[in-house]
Amino acid sequence: MQRILIIEDNPMVVRSLEFKLKKEGYEVVVAEEGRQAMKLLLEETFDLILTDLMLPFVTGTQIIEHIKKTYPNIPVIVLSTSTQEDIITDAFKMGVDDFITKPFSPSELSLRVKRTLAKQ
Amino acid sequence: MLIALLELDEWPFILKVNLLLSIFFLILTLLFVGLVLYLRIQKNFKEAHRKKQETKFIDFANTFLFDDSINKSKELANFKFTNIKSSYDYKILIKQVLIFDENLKGESTALIKEIFYGLGLYRFLLKDLNRKEWFNKARALFAFSKLGIAVPDQLIMPLLQSKRVELKQHGILYFLNTSKTDPLVFLDNLEGRLTLWQQVLIENSLKSFEVEIPDFARWLNHKEDSIVVFCIKMILSFNQFQNIPFLIDCLDHTSENVRHQAIQVLQAMEVPEALQLMVAHFPEETAANKRSILYAISKIGTYKDLQTLVPFIHKEEENLQIDFYKISGLFGDEIPVKKLLNIETITKDWEDFQEYSINSSIGA
Repeated sequence: MQRILIIEDNPMVVRSLEFKLKKEGYEVVVAEEGRQAMKLLLEETFDLILTDLMLPFVTGTQIIEHIKKTYPNIPVIVLSTSTQEDIITDAFKMGVDDFITKPFSPSELSLRVKRTLAKQ
Repeated sequence: MLIALLELDEWPFILKVNLLLSIFFLILTLLFVGLVLYLRIQKNFKEAHRKKQETKFIDFANTFLFDDSINKSKELANFKFTNIKSSYDYKILIKQVLIFDENLKGESTALIKEIFYGLGLYRFLLKDLNRKEWFNKARALFAFSKLGIAVPDQLIMPLLQSKRVELKQHGILYFLNTSKTDPLVFLDNLEGRLTLWQQVLIENSLKSFEVEIPDFARWLNHKEDSIVVFCIKMILSFNQFQNIPFLIDCLDHTSENVRHQAIQVLQAMEVPEALQLMVAHFPEETAANKRSILYAISKIGTYKDLQTLVPFIHKEEENLQIDFYKISGLFGDEIPVKKLLNIETITKDWEDFQEYSINSSIGA
């Protein structure tokens, strides 16, 4: 079973993603803030990371930098409310595999997750 | 000794008063501490209840949105029957529905609305809209406009006349978010000033409109000047060149602000046909509008147009004289701009200049 790490602080979004992705057959682990995500990354292995950019303690950008430096093979999808072009291009420059803006369509997100995992 | 202490009759008067006050304040303190504790405990219970309800709702909504195997209408009825007991429960659910709507789109949007209607939240908010308190009305308006759910216009229109700015603002937002064909229909019924903040709000909403932008000439005869001013600005923003004749008519408006905005927009739209009327109105205009006309000439007029205004700039209107010199400079070397340099003698210089200007125009 493929494992997905969700890094998101909005409980509603977390539960929806968890529900939807578990239904699709993935194993889902949730980190509600950056430090917890860093700890989980040290202890466990993941096939994909789905992260928000605005997070408490450690920002999404810092997490992405860390992941791309330490675990370059894990694909990262950003899920953010930001629609600013510079933020999106900066994220892609850091090496993220996809960028989804909120509000998001759960079906579309599920397809993008599937496609990103298939590329690996 | 205790018995002796309780023989109050033998106590001096001052001690009796002291004892009485001590007992009174002790009871008062105990009551106050009790009240604080009661409120705290009640708040904790309320908070725990809110969290429990939120969790229940999120689980229910996720099942409703993503699990196709369930009987949706049965689940809705079941959730409503078992979990909604008070108006506080309704308020918690409305907030959660709004959060869902804010974060999800696509196929989920219609299902979220189904939840909204199915749990009776629509009816609850309609009742709120009819309540006396402005904050209940504002909350209902906010929810309806966020979710893009239309309610009968007659319930909203009176709120546009409200003295509470918040209600008026939410009323405007409601129309902008819910109307599919005529999002500015509320302007017909709007009373009182349209504040600058509200104008910005409407303009920003208009930029993201998917429906056709309305023709702003429709409100150029509105009794509220601020609405006319806003519509003039929007004619420029949305390049409604077909409305230029109506803008020229606005130069005859009774309101100084409307005329001012019309002058500025006609200048920005570069309409030389408007210049004749601006020049004709110049002698009777206010100082601010005279200044705008001068600058309009700098953009769409000639030095000759400028020169015709010289007799109508009076010697005490020093600011206008400065503007005149500045604008004259833009037309090149045709007039002696150097006079501007000495502010001490500007009034005397202006009289000389008026004479010079009149003579040179006669000569010409």
